Amino acid sequence: MGALGGALIGVVIAIGASTALFFGANWLFDLAVDRWRTFLATSGALVGALIGAVIAGNDVAGGPLWLWAAVCAVVGAAAGIAASVLGTPSKSSRTRLSERGRLVTFLGPSLLFAALGLVIPLIRSIYLSLLDSRAAEWVGLANYGEILTNPNSLDLSGWTEIFTSRLFYAALVLIAVGLGIGMAVGRRRGRTMEALPGSIGPIAIGLFVLSFAVFTTLRGTVINNLWWVVVVTGLSTALGLAAAVLADGVRGESVAKSLIFLPMAISFVGAGIIWRFMYIARPPQKPQTGFLNAIWVWLGSLRPRTGGAWVAVLILALVTVLLAGLCAFGVKRRQTAFAIGAAVTAVPVLWLIYRFLGPGLGGSVPGPTGEPIAGTILFLQEAPFNNVWLMVVLIWIQTGFAMVILSAAIKAVPSELIEAARVDGATERQTFWNVIIPTIIPTITVVATTLIVLVMKVYDIVKVMTAGNFGTQVIANEMWQKAFTELNFGLGSALAVVLFLAVVPAMAFNIRRTQRADA
Amino acid sequence: MSTATASRPGPASGAIERVDRTGKLIYGFLRRIPTWVLWLMVIVWSIPASSLFLNSFRTRDAQRNSGWWESFNEGGWTLANYSEVLGTEQTGGLARALVNSFAIAIPATVIPVAIAAMAAYAFAWIKFRGREWLFIVFVSLLALPNQVALLPLLQLYAGGAHWTIPGTEFTLTLFPDFDLAGSATAVWLTHTAFALPFAVFLLHNYISSLPGELFEAARIDGADHVTIFWRLVVPLSVPALAAFTIFQFLWTWNDYLVAITMIGSNGEAWPATIRIASLAGEFGLREHVLSAGAFVQAGVPLIVFFALQRFFVRGLLAGSVKS
Amino acid sequence: MKKHRTRSTRLRTSRLLAVVLAFGLIVAACASDDDDDAGEAPAATEAMAEESMDESMDDESMDDDMDEAMDEAMDDESMDDSMDDAMMDLSGTKVTVFGPESSEEEAGAMQDALDVFAAATGIEIVYTGARDFSDQINAQAAGGNPPDIAVFPQPGKVGDFAAENWILAVPDEVQAAIGSQWPAGSLDTVTFGGTLYGVPNKTDLKSIVWYNTEIFESGGYSVPESLTELQILTADMLADGVTPWCVGIESGPATGWPFTDWMEDLVLRVQDENVYDQWVAGDLPFADPRIVGTAEFVLELWNLPGAVYAAGGSIAATPFGDNGEPLVAGDCAMHRQASFFAAFLPEGTSVGPGQTIDVFYFPAVAAKGNRPVLTAGTYVSAFRDAPEVWAVMEFFGSAEYANARQAAQAARQGGGQSGFLSANLNQDLSLYNDLERSFVEILQTASPARFDGSDLMPAAVGAGTFWTEGTSAVNGDKTVAEAFAAIDASWPQ
Repeated sequence: MGALGGALIGVVIAIGASTALFFGANWLFDLAVDRWRTFLATSGALVGALIGAVIAGNDVAGGPLWLWAAVCAVVGAAAGIAASVLGTPSKSSRTRLSERGRLVTFLGPSLLFAALGLVIPLIRSIYLSLLDSRAAEWVGLANYGEILTNPNSLDLSGWTEIFTSRLFYAALVLIAVGLGIGMAVGRRRGRTMEALPGSIGPIAIGLFVLSFAVFTTLRGTVINNLWWVVVVTGLSTALGLAAAVLADGVRGESVAKSLIFLPMAISFVGAGIIWRFMYIARPPQKPQTGFLNAIWVWLGSLRPRTGGAWVAVLILALVTVLLAGLCAFGVKRRQTAFAIGAAVTAVPVLWLIYRFLGPGLGGSVPGPTGEPIAGTILFLQEAPFNNVWLMVVLIWIQTGFAMVILSAAIKAVPSELIEAARVDGATERQTFWNVIIPTIIPTITVVATTLIVLVMKVYDIVKVMTAGNFGTQVIANEMWQKAFTELNFGLGSALAVVLFLAVVPAMAFNIRRTQRADA
Repeated sequence: MSTATASRPGPASGAIERVDRTGKLIYGFLRRIPTWVLWLMVIVWSIPASSLFLNSFRTRDAQRNSGWWESFNEGGWTLANYSEVLGTEQTGGLARALVNSFAIAIPATVIPVAIAAMAAYAFAWIKFRGREWLFIVFVSLLALPNQVALLPLLQLYAGGAHWTIPGTEFTLTLFPDFDLAGSATAVWLTHTAFALPFAVFLLHNYISSLPGELFEAARIDGADHVTIFWRLVVPLSVPALAAFTIFQFLWTWNDYLVAITMIGSNGEAWPATIRIASLAGEFGLREHVLSAGAFVQAGVPLIVFFALQRFFVRGLLAGSVKS
Repeated sequence: MKKHRTRSTRLRTSRLLAVVLAFGLIVAACASDDDDDAGEAPAATEAMAEESMDESMDDESMDDDMDEAMDEAMDDESMDDSMDDAMMDLSGTKVTVFGPESSEEEAGAMQDALDVFAAATGIEIVYTGARDFSDQINAQAAGGNPPDIAVFPQPGKVGDFAAENWILAVPDEVQAAIGSQWPAGSLDTVTFGGTLYGVPNKTDLKSIVWYNTEIFESGGYSVPESLTELQILTADMLADGVTPWCVGIESGPATGWPFTDWMEDLVLRVQDENVYDQWVAGDLPFADPRIVGTAEFVLELWNLPGAVYAAGGSIAATPFGDNGEPLVAGDCAMHRQASFFAAFLPEGTSVGPGQTIDVFYFPAVAAKGNRPVLTAGTYVSAFRDAPEVWAVMEFFGSAEYANARQAAQAARQGGGQSGFLSANLNQDLSLYNDLERSFVEILQTASPARFDGSDLMPAAVGAGTFWTEGTSAVNGDKTVAEAFAAIDASWPQ
């Protein structure tokens, strides 16, 4: 109970003192305009008390702290009154002083905390990164050199393999399709390129797939971090936006949003356990306890030309017919986006049919006797896609973050704007793209920037799930291991500085852009 | 569409109507796709957590030998995981740890929200030289990996900051030794520093988009910055403040690293995260109880989320601007 | 109207300020009360300031000047300068102990055992166990907020901390009191430059194989007496379609350590203790053919088709603790793992001679005629120089502690294995159950006994690359030669 009391007293002191400081400072700067003498006397007393406390605290001379503070306060007040006799500055300069003072009141606390908690440690890290592991000897840039030359952090040797990667060609096809559609529609409308969902969509997906092709051939800690940034930032923002938009105004909105938000409320320790249960693999002869492997093995048990596979093919065929209908409907209604969307969705369905008819789908490998047995995926051990399975954990968590902030922004779009657009005859879709999205673009930038930074600094997921083994190491976890496990402060600090420098340009760019948008 | 059909008379109208009815069906189906996608997403998002929820009521052997979806056939139900988490005796037990969590998370949320709102207001609406530049530098600190600040801050809390003036014997105390290391105070002070760049970034984005004419009018009426901030900015920023409050509370409530670094071996000040994680034991022997621990831990943040969710309602902002 | 409003606002503001100021004064008064509680004479402000200077100097230089520290300790007690009094009465003092054992059973039993001493002396002893102790003790020591006593699972770290002057040498009196209670050599592990820095707390026996007796009975297999017999047994089982081994090296952030244990056990057997010592000390590189050869020997065994059952799909994906269930279920016949593994067996498994699961000594090479044993364990070291701290340290080294802990942990585990072993020579062996008593016998008949090498190596290797690169080799991502070259490159200069 004592500790609880102590903690609560600490809270009350802190909040009380902050409030006192805030209102006291404002009161003081009000005085500067109206009552110059009182202002000088009060500020003199405050400065005096502070000096007195410093003198007593540093044991410059004997005597209790309160006495020193009081004596110095009186001296300071007297000095203030004496100074006021010399004359009163003009009203405008007093007003300016008061404005400056208010600025300090508003910004001061934040700047003080940031300086103590962030700026000084940053400077210290830069300094430590130039020293050896025990912070004893100057080694110059050797730590940075070690990061760059270590094959574990950057390994570009496999770059030629990109030309044998199927992802690479899939990406090229997608981009070509997107460009083709854009140009075809554009020519009809007299422009070289037309930005519409049918062209932007394939190009965006193509670029995304292309990044996968690149990141699976170039390996290393640094590459992993970039991969994380692209995938997690992109998907979390997109899915968060989708959830925020789709849930907006729907019956059961709060239930849906709460369930998507739930992962944020679960601690990282809990998340680690949860995803272990999702990814776990067991030997083929045992029932799978991991959800994903259970599905995978079940799919594998649907051998081609057996009952299960025929049922699957039948269902998929129905889906294909449905999609064909939708496509026809879209063409008839001149809804190109629908038509293209349905056609694109049909591609993986047709691929699934092919797999069920031909080579089979899912986890199944020939067993010792030749009979097929269950084949599992070692989600966390099979490089390089184990990185993606780790990213899924963070996407699962951070989509809730993106959703909440974007949802708040969507709710804040003035309803007059939306109503005006509706009155002008805009469809739901047009309202969304032309009114809502432009209004919340600054918020999307904020969310994306925050996620970039958060993802660059990710370490707990990697630490808990793979400990950086199997080619999943990221910079922040490497930094933690170097600095805290091995007590190699030089290398650890250098990694931190690298991480910081890598993120700052992206941040500064985004902030400048939002600022310009405001202006 | 229906008007077009009605305006088209003729013998073929019956067939056209039929086609159109099919079209309407399909159209209605298409219109509902977004809702279905949403609920599909909700289901996908819920599977991992619900699997843990089911498993949290099962024994260790049951968790390992059969999937959670088979739990209704296989059994292995138990409340032992929860009773172990709730009944831990070490360093004051779970109740004490939860109290500590509150003692950390409440100030670590309230104080950053307050001072970041002030700073965001200053960056957005008080004109001063170097404002843009200072803002970029301040928010760029978000990119600093917090781990690098842990040791310097711990040293500050543990021994204060002292500087011996070169060439003299005299040591000046720059920051007194308040003996903060090992206390909840050290933890929320650290959280406050770490939270500020993001808080200012998020709140600045919102506060700077508030209608400037409103503040101009208020200034002409003679209101000073304090009044504008307190009477206009804070009420108008409630959704943003609520959003940040939710996240900051979650992060500080679920934080493990800052807490254990600043508190260290003083188990009596440990928040629930550390208390629960430690139950797993040195080699993860009792890791299965963490499934129960995760839900015990997640209860409070969910309540906070539900409580603050009502602030995300359309028209809140518009309404306040009008009046 | 406007003016009136600003006036009233200001009035309200100043009233608020007054309230807050008044509150601040009260708080200040409270704060000074707290200072009094800390035990300083209120009048002697000068002395107070002086002492805080001393403390800050201690923080920097950390010299173990006994006299000065003793004075300080007595100041704390606000007693007169009589040394005897300080040694006699320690009631009212407090000692904090921080360690890696954190489960309800282990940490609880540790606290129970310490409470015995606390009741006898009046010292308040608080044990706190954290799962990521290894990282945290680094942070706490470097950050200046260490506990009074820490429980180190890695003697190598004790050496690092001694070199940094973070921990204190064990005083001669304590050393004299405990020295005779421990087997020869067990204190050498934490002796650096001729100075003792730690006291043994708990011991683990690593050179044992857990096996399923039912498989052995039905297959007519017998417990192997030599390494060759073990190889033959493995081959026989393979021929009979029995999976001989369960292996798993996953262990969260420490993934890879079971592989290092296999390596160490085999270096001790196939090579000898001299090679082992040189290798652990860094005088023999990992790239040495003898070390590479041992690793290849281990991996060849594991990679024999059908030789290993991996409960998690692959060896690197299987948590070592998950092998308890398949061993009992008969999915594999043997599992080489340390003495604490009993706790990972499914509940209700009968363990011991003639039961479902039994244990045999991991056999040596017959021609050498020795009986090497790999051990591990924890040591306690002190960060604060005070009589109550040394009293607790001495208690850790005593048979009373071993007995109290054994009894408490067995009670908390509810029968069966306690999971706690001590190598203390004076302990009461009747408190042990049969199986764990046989572990103590293996420990006592060991020749030579060697401490887990990865725990002795520098952290960058022993808790770093040896685990991670070893895991790469086990997973087939790298060859042994590639992985071990990387380990050599990471060895701190």
